[in-house]
Formats: sequence, C-alpha cells, structure tokens
Amino acid sequence: MPTIQELRQALFSVQKPGRYTGGEPGSVLKDKTKVDLRVAFCFPDTYEIGMSFLGEKILYELLNRHENWWCERAFMPWVDMKEQMETLGIPLYCLESKDPLREFDIVGFSLEYELCYTNVLAMLQLSGIPLRAADRDERWPLVIAGGPCVCNGEPMADFFDVMQLGEGEQMLQDICACVEQGKKAGWNRERQLLELAKIPGVYVPAFYDVTYGEDGRIRAVAPNRPGVPARVTKAIVRDMDSFPPPENFVVPIVGTVQDRASVEVLRGCVRGCRFCQAGQIYRPFRERSPELISGCARTLCANTGYDELSLMSLSTSDHSRLEEILDRLNAWAEADHVSLSLPSLRVDNFSQSLVEKTSRVRKSGLTFAAEAGTQRLRDVINKNVTWEQIERGCRIAFSEGYTSVKLYFMMGLPTETMEDIKGIADTAQQVVDLFYTIPERPKGKGVQVTCSVACFVPKPWTPFQFCAQDTRETLREKQKYLLSCVHSRKIKVNYHDSATSVLEGIFAKGDRRLGAVIEQAFRQGSFFDTWEEFFDYDRWLAAFKACGVDPDFYNYRAIDLDETAPWDHMDVGVGRAFLVREYQKALRAQTTPPCNRQCSGCGANKLLGGPCFAYDQDQL
Amino acid sequence: MLTIRISFEKRAEAAYISLLDLQRVFHRILKRSGLPVYYTQGFNPHIYLSFNCPLSLGQESICESCEVKTADENADLNAWQDALQPYMPHGIRILHIGPAQRKSTEIQAAEYELTLPPAGLEAVEAYNRSPQVLVEKKTKRGRRELDLKTWLPALQAEPLAGGGCKVTVRLPCAAGEGDNLNPALLLASFAPCGVQPWQCEILRTRLFTADGSEFR
Ligand code: SF4
Repeated sequence: MPTIQELRQALFSVQKPGRYTGGEPGSVLKDKTKVDLRVAFCFPDTYEIGMSFLGEKILYELLNRHENWWCERAFMPWVDMKEQMETLGIPLYCLESKDPLREFDIVGFSLEYELCYTNVLAMLQLSGIPLRAADRDERWPLVIAGGPCVCNGEPMADFFDVMQLGEGEQMLQDICACVEQGKKAGWNRERQLLELAKIPGVYVPAFYDVTYGEDGRIRAVAPNRPGVPARVTKAIVRDMDSFPPPENFVVPIVGTVQDRASVEVLRGCVRGCRFCQAGQIYRPFRERSPELISGCARTLCANTGYDELSLMSLSTSDHSRLEEILDRLNAWAEADHVSLSLPSLRVDNFSQSLVEKTSRVRKSGLTFAAEAGTQRLRDVINKNVTWEQIERGCRIAFSEGYTSVKLYFMMGLPTETMEDIKGIADTAQQVVDLFYTIPERPKGKGVQVTCSVACFVPKPWTPFQFCAQDTRETLREKQKYLLSCVHSRKIKVNYHDSATSVLEGIFAKGDRRLGAVIEQAFRQGSFFDTWEEFFDYDRWLAAFKACGVDPDFYNYRAIDLDETAPWDHMDVGVGRAFLVREYQKALRAQTTPPCNRQCSGCGANKLLGGPCFAYDQDQL
Repeated sequence: MLTIRISFEKRAEAAYISLLDLQRVFHRILKRSGLPVYYTQGFNPHIYLSFNCPLSLGQESICESCEVKTADENADLNAWQDALQPYMPHGIRILHIGPAQRKSTEIQAAEYELTLPPAGLEAVEAYNRSPQVLVEKKTKRGRRELDLKTWLPALQAEPLAGGGCKVTVRLPCAAGEGDNLNPALLLASFAPCGVQPWQCEILRTRLFTADGSEFR
C-alpha cells in the first residue's frame, strides 16, 4: 500500500493532485481486516467525470451498507499521473484505502460509453492484472462490467469475467454475496462463474460460443456449458420505491462536472425516440413516489451539505406527479438553502408553472432538444416535437428573461436529405425572429441561439440498429452545407469531428472479434479516446489492419431485418419484432405514441409481469 | 459587523486541496449551514470569505485560518463549529472559531517544521557553511534572486530516530503586499546534497505579528 508519504513524489509533479488522494466527505473507510469482501468500483475516465455519475453513488451506498463488504473507488489517472505511477512503480489503487486493485475480490467497471474501452485496459494494466479473462484464475480479482454498454458488450467480451445486463441495485448485491460465498468455500474460477451465471442479468461471455458464416456475419451464439441460459435477461428494479435513492454522496473537493445533490425521479422513458438507446434499454418506465423523492432528497442535502439539487432521469417532466414533487421540494428547499434544477426539461410540456417553480435557478440559458430540422424527419425519428411546441417553449422562456437558447440537433439520421439540414438553420432563424416579436423580452440584450449538432450513431436495441452510419465524407458535406445556410450572427453552430463517432459506431454494433483490435490499439498507445488531444484515428485504422478486421463491416453496413446481431443473446426487454415494426414505420415517417398514452407492445412489460400503465386512469 | 476567524488544521490528504477548491468547499458549507454570515451586497451577493496566507499545495498546517463577517454580535460560535465540521474534508479540523483579535494584515512571519530525509543533515551543514545561498523566486514581476541567508543565517538540525532530521525555521509571511518566503525555496536549495523536495515534509506551526507575538 503506497501511503500518502510514498505517493508524495508522484503527487508532487502532477496537476490537481487532489484527484488522487481521496479523503472526501462521505467517503467510506472500513477496517480491511474486518471485512469479508472488497470491491473496487472503477470508472474508466477521469475523476471529474466519474464522480459526476449517479450510478456509482447508488451502488457505493448500497454495497457499503453491508457491514462486512467494503466498496471503494478508482478512476483513470490523468496522463501525467499515469506516467508518474508507471515510472515509480505505483500500482493503480483505490482512493479510500490506497490499496492496489489486484488485492480486491471484485474489480468492477462502469461502461457508460464505448470510447472508454481502452481506458479499461489501461486501468487493468496499471493494476498489474492480466487483461484477458482467460489469463486470470481465482487468484486474480473477478473483473466485472456494468452500465449501458453491456447491452452489447461483445467488443469487450474477452476482458471481462462477468458482465451485468441491466440494473445493478439487486444484481450487484447478489454477485457480491455469491463471490463472498465462493471465497469462503474456496471455489475455483470456473465454479464461481457457473454459480454467478445463475443470477438474473449476469452474463459470462466465456460461456458462449459464437460461430460466423463465410460472409463474416454471425451464424449463431450458443452457451457452451449446461444450465447457462441461451439468452440473458436484463435485471430490473420492478418497484422504484423498493430501492430508495442514496441519502449520502461522496462529495468531491476537486471541482467535477456534476457537483450537486441529485435524485433519480424515474427510470425509463415513455417517448420511444427511435435514435435513442437509453429510451429503449431502460424500459419500462417506472416512477418514484413524490414522498420518497422529497424525503430522501432532503436527507441527501443535509448529509452532503449540497446547496443545489437536481432531479435526474431521462425525462423528468414526464413524471406524472412532477408538480407535486416540486411542491414538496419547495416546501423545505428554501429554508434549507437548497436550490432546485431540472436538467432535462422538454419543449413539449414546458409550462409556465414549471418555469415559476424552478425560477430560483439561474437564468443562464435553456436547452431544447429538437434533434432534427424538419417535421418530416422529426416524425421519422419519432421525436414528437412540433415547431409550435418549440415556439411556445421559447416564448415562455424569453418572457421570463432568458436570452440564450441552445438547440440540440443530430446529423446523419436515416432518410435525411439536404432539405433537412437546411431545416436546422431555418429553425434557429425562426427562434431568433421570435425573440424580437416578444414585447416582454429582456431589453437591451440580444438573443443567442446555439445549434449543437451531433453526429448520429446507430445503436443496438433501437429501431435504427439496422441502419448504416453516414460516412465521414457525407457528414462533412452536410456540415459545410449547414454553415452555408446560416445567415445570422446570432446563430452559432457547434459540431464535432466525426472520427470519434465512427469508432463509437463500430464498437456499438461490434462483436467479439473487436477485442483483438481494442487490445492492439491499446498496446500501440491508445487510451483516453474521448479526449480529442489523445484520439488517434490512424492508429485505430492501423490496429484494424493489423488484426485483419474490416471496420466498415460493423458501422457502414446495414443489418438485415432477420440477421443475428452480436447482441441477440441479450434480452433487454424490447423485442426484435417491435424494432422491425418501428423501423418500417420510420421509413414511412409514421410516429408512435408515448407509452403512457398507448402501449405499442414492445415486449418490455414482461420484465414487470404485467402492463406498464393502468390506462383507465388518467396518466396524463 | 464582527469579523469571525475560523482556525483550522490542514493535514494529510487535505494538504492537496488547492486554495480554489478550499474556497469552494467553505463557501458551499457556509451557505448551506444557514449561519448568519455576511453576504456582500450587489447584483450577485456572495459570502464574504477571506483566507489568511494560504499554504502551497502539498504543505501541511496546524494554524490555517479564514475570516467571515457577521452582524450577529451574540452568535454562538461553538454551535458554528458543530455546524461546519461534519462537512469538512478529511484532514480539515476546525480548531477554534472566535472573534478576530488581530487584523490579518498584521501577520509578518510563519514558523515551519521541516522533516528531512537522512541526507538532510548534510544539507543543513552545507547550508550553514555557505556564505550565501542564492535561490530564485518567482514573483508577479518576474524572477528575482534572493539570498536565503538574509533571513536564515544558520539552521539547527534536530536528528530524528529514523535517520532524518527536523529543522524549524521562521520565514517572512505576509497576508498582503509584504515579503513572503515559501519554505519550498529552502528545500530546493538542498537538492545538490541529494535531498528531493518530495522526501521532505513541511508543516506550518505558527504565525506571528510584527511585535513577535503569536497571531491568533
Ligand atoms: S410494453 Fe408497451 S408501455 Fe411498456 S414499454 Fe413497451 S411499448 Fe411502452
């Protein structure tokens, strides 16, 4: 164990050393001689980013409630610290005990986005843990993964002993209990994995064989051990009130991206936007009750000392009792010196009273996700937002004193034409024009409309999983054309280089053959791929070449409607038939109503064992 | 309006908390506590909060302090301590909260306890032998060369059981414009004797005013 004294040399020469010392209020310290199980919860990105994710905070609290388990945290050290650790021979350690990862029973990674994959390998290597599951026996920690990327974790299948499909609240506790049992009984790794595979949601990649056809497409995926399920069914929290949200957080001292109290008000999304993976894989929609939300939020603020609380979810304003939640929160928030924020307001139900109830929040700017520039394309992607709704939302916002609006769009959507691209510029112009027609607009100030344009990446478990991604050349042309359509200085267009999106598209829909490529690129120096200054597209291309893998096969090829996809031995709830139906409706620009209005039979309700909504009651 | 001084320790992990982060943490905790601290007036009111002679990153202290103001002449300052301590990072321990006796501008010097590795004994001897010890100090106006001997004509090394030694020094340290000398400069001058800065510990123990009395 490197002590603070031993770490001093490394800390002496790095930026923001506070990221590597731990000691934050709320961090949990236990006596390691008195615990039966030690879990290293790893986030494969910087401290500032990792500490902003709610999932880690939820599981950290749940695991540490068990007196005989100790869950600690580790993050990817920034480049300067990584170099120091390598030079000085300091293995990657957890912030609480400063003990190296390889001394833990479970080393778990949260996979939130595809481009963090090389960081996982970097963290394993910094820990001295063999990268591949096949090279680790029971003397090594069990290396597991969780998070949304597990809905197609195949590209990382070689590196993980276990992947967790779905929600971790129960599953991770079951895994820990099983590992504790195996440790005490002295099970070997094979036996341990066989026992773990019985837990709902647990996927042991080594227990499945993948065969390929001559054209490179998957022929079949089948379990290679008796008793292992042919399909792994997602773990889910049926009743959101059965797991109260965390009542304490580790409060970072070094400034992080999200540095406030937050409470998850609902899980899932009723909307069914066809490009959105989260909207599909977190189905069905489940709400927490206002009483529980308000009570836990108040305790959380009291325990952490946070003065800002945000209501988290994919779509907070879809909570059927949002106004009641806000009333309850407002009943104590001011007296407790806490201000509220709603990060994911939607244009279509952005009401006057909502603005008033959150009016104590800074009037810095508003964001609206329009996603596409024309009504036709918005119908294709089932983003059921109209110009009238955008107009109404902006009108309220401008009257309330807002002067800047950020509009989110995507580029490269299925069926998109240059007409749709021009629509992005037109929409922004309409918002600018609207501002000047409003008598109550803030005087003496101009309006600023920012269009943030992301490159669309087709994702598994969405109706667009069948589609090919736009090439970089096409996207570049579209970007150029968009700029030529903007004629006002009040409109700013932001977009990102598409090279990272290409890699994201490959990993998202990739299969196990990519493991070799990821390892190769990592060994050649790739990590921190989400960071532009470190992303090297050519090195990736070289890695594909070296491994004899054609990257275009994954993202530039349309998948047949009846083709076996690499993720088909997972079951996240929504079925293939539904995805095909939705895809075909998309091509006809037909929309699908949200789940709380009408069920479209996606199949996810089987996870609950009944209908998702009581439609006779008025849910809207 | 009363000036309230919060005295605290900054040790162990907390040595790596930058002034900026420390300010943020104190601001948040004070705001959230609801204690009757004074907010600056104006368009964007914020808590009046001022840190006295903040330490460099990596150094420890048992005599750090910051000041807030309050209009509440009868504030129960023990209750303040109970309200603030639970939210403090590990290593920040509030020692005392009380009305400020002296102005922070009266601070003139700081005392440091330096713990050096075995090579430190030789470094101290070499220092004492040298007629002058020139170091380079970075200031807002550029680099300046200083002779440490002006302030520290001789050092006293107190050998430690484990092989190293302890040196206590008093250096100029002013809250405002006045002279300031970071003990890290002294440690840097030991490099030729094989003493690396990260092998040394710096602990600030006391602050003094112009008349030589301890600043509290
Ligand atoms: S089963 Fe129906 S209501 Fe439930 S998530 Fe699927 S489409 Fe929505």
